[in-house]
Amino acid sequence: MAHGIRINENACRGCVNCIKVCPTEAMRVIHGKVRILEDRCIGCGECIRSCRHRALSLQENDWDKVSSVRPITLASDPALCTQFPWSPNPAILDQVLRGLGFEPIFEECSMAYDLAALAISRAIENGSAADLPMISTYCPAVVRLVQIKFQELLSHLAPVESPLETCIDLWRARHNKHDVPASLVVACPARVAMVENPVGRDVSSADFVISTARITREILSRSHGIQESAERKAKDSRWLNWAMLGGETRHILQFAERPVRTLAVSGMKNVISLLQDIELHRMKGVDFVELRACDLGCIGGISNAESRFLSRLKIENYGYSPELSEEERETLESLYEAKIWKLQEEIRSIEQVPLGRDMAKAMEKLEELHSVYAELPHLDCGTCGRPSCRIMAEDIVRGESSVDDCIFRLREKIAALSEEINGLSRRLVHTMTPEERI
Amino acid sequence: MSLNEPLVIEREVKPLDFLAAGETASEFKDTLRSLGISAELCRRTSIVTYEAEMNIVIHGGGGSIAMKMEEDKITIVASDEGPGIEDVELAMQEGYSTAPDFIRELGFGAGMGLPNIKKYSDELEIDTKPGKGTTLKAVIYLDSGEA
Repeated sequence: MAHGIRINENACRGCVNCIKVCPTEAMRVIHGKVRILEDRCIGCGECIRSCRHRALSLQENDWDKVSSVRPITLASDPALCTQFPWSPNPAILDQVLRGLGFEPIFEECSMAYDLAALAISRAIENGSAADLPMISTYCPAVVRLVQIKFQELLSHLAPVESPLETCIDLWRARHNKHDVPASLVVACPARVAMVENPVGRDVSSADFVISTARITREILSRSHGIQESAERKAKDSRWLNWAMLGGETRHILQFAERPVRTLAVSGMKNVISLLQDIELHRMKGVDFVELRACDLGCIGGISNAESRFLSRLKIENYGYSPELSEEERETLESLYEAKIWKLQEEIRSIEQVPLGRDMAKAMEKLEELHSVYAELPHLDCGTCGRPSCRIMAEDIVRGESSVDDCIFRLREKIAALSEEINGLSRRLVHTMTPEERI
Repeated sequence: MSLNEPLVIEREVKPLDFLAAGETASEFKDTLRSLGISAELCRRTSIVTYEAEMNIVIHGGGGSIAMKMEEDKITIVASDEGPGIEDVELAMQEGYSTAPDFIRELGFGAGMGLPNIKKYSDELEIDTKPGKGTTLKAVIYLDSGEA
């Protein structure tokens, strides 16, 4: 399973910063190098943020390969629009990109986001009350987290595809470009993983992934500023707002026909805490939750160059245009009827391997785990390459580690051994008299 | 498959420790998941544990909560030496609460604790005497599936 993170083993120093910040305990340091457990990683990118040796990065496609075919068709996370020293108006970025030989498909992006917002608002209205609050599927790290750790909440996930997939489908259908490769600009590893291993569909609509950092550099180094005459298309502000926490909710409310109670929460810790509350049935009366792994939403994505605070300011200052023209509404309705927003497959759980092959065996192992854990120092120092003593105990019981990998236990063992050696060295040899003893 | 002895995990619950509330529920859930128990049963156990824990935090003045795992069932035992429940039948009604105002202001004490425990468990036993404390025993059978 893809996780969207590239490890540069030469740069990895085997420090344990990354394994300590991982919210799903998916990282280990083995023989001095970091490893990622693919079935536990959600691609949130917290590890990349914590790495001071630049050993972790986005697993994007090779730029030379992507740029060898011109024009480069680009769909993008709207966070890209906020990365430049000009207005976040997507129409301006569109113009700049065209000047550099790209073919941005922002018109389809805008339509796909309108469609997603409409579809979610209808799904909230028509869905079963037991599956509320509905959980946004826009952040792929959150979707993966639910699949791995909150499986009982799978039915709460919105049955609506990411508009970043839909927009490329839409562009291919409208322009009959079924064989033209399309690239998706992303700000985090989870979106890279979304293209490599899509959730809710068989194959991603995108052929390549490029980081916002790469495109931003490409534009800033080659572009000669902007022409002020760029046409202002106010309608583009709706999808732009999805880059910022609360933007999706705002868009959905615009289509709602009854009052909808929503919550928007960002940051891994907050997301996990909110999911726990939903699990415990403490979110009764809330209809929709917008959850984002990154602080402030996708503008906080690991690959962005611009400060997320400035990005938010830019979006807020740019303004919002809730109105859709009659014609836009009609197009939207027909796209809704065509169901191209719908997830093609159900989102399934990602099962963890149980401790034992049956309940009895698993309970035996669990008991062993508890006694192994009791003997560990409970300092969570990470020196064994595991994020905590608790995970260390689990890895020992699963046969993936040994008690001797714990530096504290090893010290005790060495102390005991050296005492034994000392004792043995004082043992009287039969050919010696007690006076000759050292 | 046979098990000689049930496995028991016990956790202390401190009075008024709202910060820790939910931690035990979350730990029990993770433990059950590592045994390969279904998501639905994990969730039910987690809710029962959480509500029982909250009852101890709010009313019981501290106590303990234990999870007993056997091959066919999970039992949650919550005990405290608090004031006990005057009228168990009344306490089982949705919306009934004796929680003090300051606790209701925290958003807790909506009178759903016991009804929720009953809803998500297969068997519920409450042993209580006014002034002597309460012991609650909730059983969830592994083959019971959806509540």
